[in-house]
Amino acid sequence: MPRSVQLPTPRPSVESLIEQLQMPKARQKRLRAIMDEAWAELEAKKRASSGAAIVPEEKLKNASAAD
Amino acid sequence: MPLPPIDPDAVFLNIPYDEEFQKLYLAYIVGLYQLRLVPFISSGLAGGERRLDRILALIQSCRYSIHDLSRVELSGTPPATPRFNMPLELGLTITWAKLHPKRHTWFLWESTPRRLQKSLSDLDGSDPNIHLGTVEGLLSELRNAFAFRDAPPVPGMVAAYSVVESQTGKILAEAGTHNLYAASVFKALCFAALDAARRMEGSSQP
Repeated sequence: MPRSVQLPTPRPSVESLIEQLQMPKARQKRLRAIMDEAWAELEAKKRASSGAAIVPEEKLKNASAAD
Repeated sequence: MPLPPIDPDAVFLNIPYDEEFQKLYLAYIVGLYQLRLVPFISSGLAGGERRLDRILALIQSCRYSIHDLSRVELSGTPPATPRFNMPLELGLTITWAKLHPKRHTWFLWESTPRRLQKSLSDLDGSDPNIHLGTVEGLLSELRNAFAFRDAPPVPGMVAAYSVVESQTGKILAEAGTHNLYAASVFKALCFAALDAARRMEGSSQP
């Protein structure tokens, strides 16, 4: 069996790990803007794919309304 | 001589710095931060005769180390030469851990089952974590190797990886380099991985 360890809990907070990076605030802001874009794109994709899933149902409703 | 201070969450990554390994390199960074562990690499350390001392000091300051030997092979460019840096750093680590077993735990990682028995038979009896050369395999093995209650599920870790991976071009541009292993890029990737972890806190999917 490969080695495995049990990590102590609670784990460090994300904020404390960000502080540990000692990154200037200006750079953090630039990188956060890049990540904001990534998450916005992901949300847009999610919306688009759920929208695509709704379309056939909408079509069905329209078709039955026309009948 | 007093022993150096140790970071209980630090993980020294002994990995190849080549193009074929980039995805797994990024997966290590994202995966370790998902588990709230802190990755360290030697690529940012200055060269010269004291480089080995600096690497040893880094190993000594880390509670854990991962030695990924999946790309220990002959170089493609002539003369074909095996890579010795990673086995050397593994040897240093094993010695350190033998002397101070409570201060350091090391892990061996490979892509292929049984390859290690062929390349490093002295380590027979040390089962490596096999990641199969895939991001999913690596993240799954990380979660197995570093267990804790409420650890994030693997699909969430993969999703975090995908988001960070989608932005590597912009992160490289921000750092003004094409080298994903450059110290400034490594730091930016750490930040991006933490940003993903922060956004995913409390949910299993982004």
